[in-house]
Amino acid sequence: MPPSDEGIQNIDRLIHEPSRLTIMMHLYVVESADFQFLQNQTGMTPGNLSSHLRKLEDAGYVEVTKEFVDRTPHTALKLTRQGREAFKEYRRNVKRFIEKLPE
Amino acid sequence: MIKQNTLKEIERKAYMSYHQDGLLDIFAGLYVLAFGLGIFADKILEFCFAAITPGILIAIVLPIWIQAKRKITMPRIGFVKFGARGSNKLFAIFLGLMVAGLGAFFLFTLATVQNGRPVWIDTIFQYGMILIGLGAAVIGSLFAYTMGLKRLHGYGLLTLVLFTSGYFLSFPFEYLLLAVGSIIIASGAALLVQFIRRYPLPKGAPDNAAQ
Repeated sequence: MPPSDEGIQNIDRLIHEPSRLTIMMHLYVVESADFQFLQNQTGMTPGNLSSHLRKLEDAGYVEVTKEFVDRTPHTALKLTRQGREAFKEYRRNVKRFIEKLPE
Repeated sequence: MIKQNTLKEIERKAYMSYHQDGLLDIFAGLYVLAFGLGIFADKILEFCFAAITPGILIAIVLPIWIQAKRKITMPRIGFVKFGARGSNKLFAIFLGLMVAGLGAFFLFTLATVQNGRPVWIDTIFQYGMILIGLGAAVIGSLFAYTMGLKRLHGYGLLTLVLFTSGYFLSFPFEYLLLAVGSIIIASGAALLVQFIRRYPLPKGAPDNAAQ
């Protein structure tokens, strides 16, 4: 394996995909948000956002809770503890990898 | 690479989107306007409206503001809960600045006492309008910094300019309050129109959840 490939293996590919990375970043900075807020902030289409959220939920990174706010059905999304840790780890690994790259 | 700045920018953008609806401005402007009207009523009806207006307004305006947020803002941009960590930090900065300001004021008072009476009492009565303008500029800047809403600098500065001009041109205090309140309401209304155009009500399910 070439030296530059070291560390690439440690980068979480599930998070590394740009759309999912955007979702993770937006959920990382808040406690929780609903689908509509996330859609507005990320600019993604509902179908696209939904499919990426499902992948993150299956990985245990995002928790989806159905609740009622003012008697209106509402889907709350938040990063799980595992999701937060995975994101922090992802940041560390990407930083480490980029720092090792030659100029 | 995701820098801390990028995350801060995302957090700031998410927070700002909640305060770009102009509701805060409209209700703050209404508060100032009603306070000015209270002073007018004092003069006409000879009753202390200006003293009771702030309390009455808080009791009326606050629930309306919360409802307006629920009915206008949330259906358009969605619902978000911000973590306590960021707001605690902002609150600490705000509190720190307030304590530093009060401490400086206390030291200034101690240093300027003459015959058992602080000199600033005369200064306040003499330059009251300018001091109110300065106070508004300082408070506006503090809120602008802690809340990240740059337009509050503008409101503070506007108050300072109007009240300083009013002092030199001998304008009545209540007229200046009416002017400041009206300008802030107009600015808030413009922001609200922009917000409603930018974020139309989504069609379909109430929370638009595709999950």
